[in-house]
Amino acid sequence: MNPAVSNGGRRGLWAFFWLLVVFLYAPIVILVVFSFNDRILVSFPWQGFTTRWYHEFLRNSAMISALKASGYVALVTAVATVVLAIPASIVLVRRRFFGKGLVSGVLLAPLVIPLIVFGLALLILFNTIGIPLSPLTIMIGHVVVALPFAILTLVPRLERIPAWLEEASRDLGANALTTFRSITFPLLLPAVVSSFLISFTISFDEVVVASFIAGDQPTFPIYLYSQLRLPRQLPQVIAVAVVVLIVSVIVVVASEVGRRIADRRLERQIADFEESVA
Amino acid sequence: MSSPRPAGASAISLEDVRKSFGKVEAVRGVSLDIREAEFLTLLGPSGCGKTTTLRMVAGFEEPDAGRILLRGRDVVGVAPNKREVNMVFQHYALFPHMTVEENVAYGLKLKKVPKDERSERVRAMLEIVRLGGFGRRKPGQLSGGQQQRVALARALVNEPAALLLDEPLGALDVKLRKQMQLELKAIQHDLGTTFVYVTHDQEEALLMSDRIAVMNQGIVEQIGSPREIYERPATAFVADFVGVLNAIEIRVDEVLDLTAVMRLADGQRVEVPVPTGVSVGERVTVAVRPERVRVLPPVEEDKGSGSRLDGEVALVIYLGTLTQIHVDTALGSRIIAHRLSAESAGDLREGEKVAVEWDREDTSVLAEVEVPP
Amino acid sequence: MATEAAVDATATKGGRRARYHRRLGTLGLASPSLGYLVVFFLIPVVTVVAYSVGLITLTPRDDYLSFQPWRDFLFGSIYLRVFWRSVQMALAVAVISVVLAYPVAYFLAMVAGLRKYTLLLVIIAPFLTSYLLRVLAWRVILQETGVVTSFLQGIGLVGEGESIGWLFNSRFAVYLVLAYAWVPFVALPIFVTLETLDQALLEASSDLGASRWRTFRTITLPLSLPGVIAAFIFVFIPTLGEYVTPSLVGGVNNFMFGNAIQGAFLLGRDWQFGSAMGAFLVLAVGVLIVLFGRYLNVQAVAE
Repeated sequence: MNPAVSNGGRRGLWAFFWLLVVFLYAPIVILVVFSFNDRILVSFPWQGFTTRWYHEFLRNSAMISALKASGYVALVTAVATVVLAIPASIVLVRRRFFGKGLVSGVLLAPLVIPLIVFGLALLILFNTIGIPLSPLTIMIGHVVVALPFAILTLVPRLERIPAWLEEASRDLGANALTTFRSITFPLLLPAVVSSFLISFTISFDEVVVASFIAGDQPTFPIYLYSQLRLPRQLPQVIAVAVVVLIVSVIVVVASEVGRRIADRRLERQIADFEESVA
Repeated sequence: MSSPRPAGASAISLEDVRKSFGKVEAVRGVSLDIREAEFLTLLGPSGCGKTTTLRMVAGFEEPDAGRILLRGRDVVGVAPNKREVNMVFQHYALFPHMTVEENVAYGLKLKKVPKDERSERVRAMLEIVRLGGFGRRKPGQLSGGQQQRVALARALVNEPAALLLDEPLGALDVKLRKQMQLELKAIQHDLGTTFVYVTHDQEEALLMSDRIAVMNQGIVEQIGSPREIYERPATAFVADFVGVLNAIEIRVDEVLDLTAVMRLADGQRVEVPVPTGVSVGERVTVAVRPERVRVLPPVEEDKGSGSRLDGEVALVIYLGTLTQIHVDTALGSRIIAHRLSAESAGDLREGEKVAVEWDREDTSVLAEVEVPP
Repeated sequence: MATEAAVDATATKGGRRARYHRRLGTLGLASPSLGYLVVFFLIPVVTVVAYSVGLITLTPRDDYLSFQPWRDFLFGSIYLRVFWRSVQMALAVAVISVVLAYPVAYFLAMVAGLRKYTLLLVIIAPFLTSYLLRVLAWRVILQETGVVTSFLQGIGLVGEGESIGWLFNSRFAVYLVLAYAWVPFVALPIFVTLETLDQALLEASSDLGASRWRTFRTITLPLSLPGVIAAFIFVFIPTLGEYVTPSLVGGVNNFMFGNAIQGAFLLGRDWQFGSAMGAFLVLAVGVLIVLFGRYLNVQAVAE
């Protein structure tokens, strides 16, 4: 007998779960379906299947340049975030020092600050110092937002890499940099890729902070937000939205599956190694 | 609270109980009668089915076949919270967010025992497990041994028909474990509660139990008092699992008066009592405990009865109380003898020629166990 | 003796040097991220507070060294009431999210068996896609010219040109969309807490006579509470400053504190006033973190 749940409870919970899944995915599915509707208004009745919205948005130069800007910002953000996150994660996992709690608090603090406050804070800062707003300023803000997520992706993986691997490398004569390059980094790679993808996604989708510190060139979310009040553009916007959503779901799932495979491989490698020395 | 039952009556009965997990047959036909007020231990290696059997009595697993009777009532299909037995879990499973008092009172509260009576019974039980005054503490503040006693109190305070213990002492260090073994035995004796105890530690089983059921690969190979199990093991597995054992394969040369004999050169022989049906020419496996084997200088006079073999000392190991002597014999097998270190008269050295001797009564034939269909 | 002392001295000196190098290394590793966050996170937040009281001025219109922006905000405007409305919204959304997510987390931890991590991914995946796009999807569904209304018109339940008032530009829409956005996220910490619960505790409770419901109430729920509270806080705080969803599906009656701040900066151009409001929000969040910070356990989040 299962002390946690009865047979009736089981069935109820299964039902609730699937209902929630439907609820979570329905809007996305609806969006996909209606992106093929030959109608300006995104609603019933169905006026025929068409892919014209997918073509038309390609001619929308404002949207295309917004997409490009977002892509560019997201790319640089992701690179910068990962570069900053790797040493930070190493420090959190491998080193003990006074004030570690405080340091982790600071590193993860951006998670709990309402983005609007952070956006306006950067706006004021840039104005005070005299930095003009541009994609660069957006990148600066996005790195802050993405950094905690990148660290939280790297830390679990780093914890699974046994410290004695690095110690063995040092013992054999390698210095810290070589050890990192030949031992730690290759093993960390799946998580590096994951945190890159997460940072990219966060930056690409981010609208609040970007709204405050964007210059003349809008990113895609900013463009989208401004367009949502114009019904004419809506079907094209929907088509792009669908593409972006589907791609990001695929990326997320692939990244997670890849991460799990990599984790299991690492565990097996370590287990094999421990067995052979036992 | 149920009326006192006559000792000897069956508290728990298992009738041909079976349980499989997928393709793995964990329990393959266990039948057992556990008597009121007895301390019975299920002893066996990992995977022998002892824990599964215990959990079926508790109600956390349901048998695929067979009956389980608690004081005459078939409880197969009855939920654990409706059975009159209580369990002490291997890692104690104390509720971390409750105090010791609240933990121990948990079952009583569920039975709607009035508050005053509840506190009194909790207090009394904490005294019995020697944790009086610990009521307000939380499990996180207790040592392993103390936690274990809280788990015991929590189960016992409900005055169950039987207490089920799933290797409760495994996590304790050796000294503490020995202490707790004696305490548990004393508590069981004082309260008169039936204890069903699961362990893989044969010394523990021998120390604490009134009877031991030795399990292997899903069945009970032998059930009996500690002395019976140790001195008259019924199967090779039981003999090997409980204590150290000499197992020798012999060829039956003669059968006289229910004794089989194998003869070798120079008066060497191995004698073993056998049941009827053993014929000359058969091979049987014979067992004798090391402490019954005497190591003598070869010139010592042959008594004429019992077994005697010539050999050479291969190894002498000092184990504190005992000294273990390994002797290579003419039979080809190595015989192990135990001697109290205090009694060692003259040192034995490796390479010395000796004779080993033991009595007929201390020898037994090891049967192969029959697996039920 | 002398040689021993000499050996000891070098050993210690070598040891000291090694420790010194190690400390430098730790500092070196931590400083890029820490430095970056100090410059681009902590300092900006401080700057906001400074600006709101005139320690910094940016335009000639700005007040210099005065509490006027704060006074304007606290006493001269309706925005405190708006803040309170936002608190209600954050509270409601956090509660709804937790209430919806708990059964999902319980299901995953207790019923789902071997497939639990895959099913967890199914639940979480939407959260990792664009928030704005998901709000857009709901707007498309809920608006008067949208999917739901046109469907109901199509089958005759709603007349042409009519619409269901509470469906769009309403509190209902705001709460629905926000809860929708947060439920996947909330499920995670609750799941982790439930999963690490020792099954033996539940068996012990059952063994001692408790029904399943009783076991849940007295054992499972109390022990999972830290995860629940952490999740609650993680939803509550960001939602206080939420403005995107209210502006897209909430309409004029659901003008929230975030909208007010956004308005002050992007439309009203009264930045000091907006900064005062922003600093107020930071203060409120700070108070919450101080009060409930102990639930924000790093390890739980890291999963």
